[in-house]
Amino acid sequence: MSGHHIISLKYLIGTALALLVLTIITVAVAYIHIPAPFNIVVAIGLATIKATLVAAIFMGLIWDKKINTMALLFSMLFFVIFIAITLLDTLYREEPFWIY
Amino acid sequence: MANSQTSHENSHVAHHFVDSGQQFDSAKLGMWVFLVTEILFFGGLFVAYIVYRAWHPELFLMAAQELDTMMGAVNTVVLIGSSLTMALAIRAAQLNQQKNIVMYLLITIGLALTFMVIKYFEYTHKFDLGIYPGEYYTYDGIAHPKAAIFFSIYYMMTALHGIHVIIGVGLMVYLLVKVRQNTYNAEYYTPIEITGLYWHLVDIVWIFLFPLLYLID
Repeated sequence: MSGHHIISLKYLIGTALALLVLTIITVAVAYIHIPAPFNIVVAIGLATIKATLVAAIFMGLIWDKKINTMALLFSMLFFVIFIAITLLDTLYREEPFWIY
Repeated sequence: MANSQTSHENSHVAHHFVDSGQQFDSAKLGMWVFLVTEILFFGGLFVAYIVYRAWHPELFLMAAQELDTMMGAVNTVVLIGSSLTMALAIRAAQLNQQKNIVMYLLITIGLALTFMVIKYFEYTHKFDLGIYPGEYYTYDGIAHPKAAIFFSIYYMMTALHGIHVIIGVGLMVYLLVKVRQNTYNAEYYTPIEITGLYWHLVDIVWIFLFPLLYLID
């Protein structure tokens, strides 16, 4: 069987509008100066919501075979491992960091 | 729905696939595997960004002031719009609306070129100030010894993304030529679907680049 789901106009335009609103919120939040670690958390959180919308609706993952979503999730898992193992090195070096 | 008995409608199905549906699903999975490599490709640069931001957080605060938030925001909206029109082009193919495929692909190409024109103005403005990547950096407006590093990361990330936008335009021009030859219809539009997946990933990369580079306050 072929999984050719035709996405309704309502979904497509609704997603685009949601992405626009989230972009405006992202910019607005940058101007209200949230204290240090949380500004990054909020910015990445909003970007992740936007990316999830694009992947789920525009890229059609919610109507697709689940293996495509698995591929995406595994790439993110390995990306997190990539970050974590690198930081285990760079955050705990003996030399002063400003020489880099 | 594709049916393997009606052979003239399935001339696009290669002999090693059971039917059109299986070929379509295989092509999509293949594209997702490619996108996985793309995510890890860009991932290397995101890791460089994270490592250097952890080492020099104050540098990123200072250097990001040089980036034009307005231009970055407009480009974000442009790419979101192009993702919508790309999805609409796929929808037009599924509904056999040949003229709409052409129209939506042309709008998507137009938005992609708009993105690159805005990028061009951003880059040339920085070049005028002497903000070049690496050892060619001559700008003295940022009082930080590692200022060049932020811009090396900025140029690598945005240029690699820009190259992807240009490749996307090339793919869409190819699709336009093929649409003119009546290659695609409701039964077979795999290349449009696959190009769409690529294009949405390019959009997703920018969705992360925009707050990480432009919106550091």
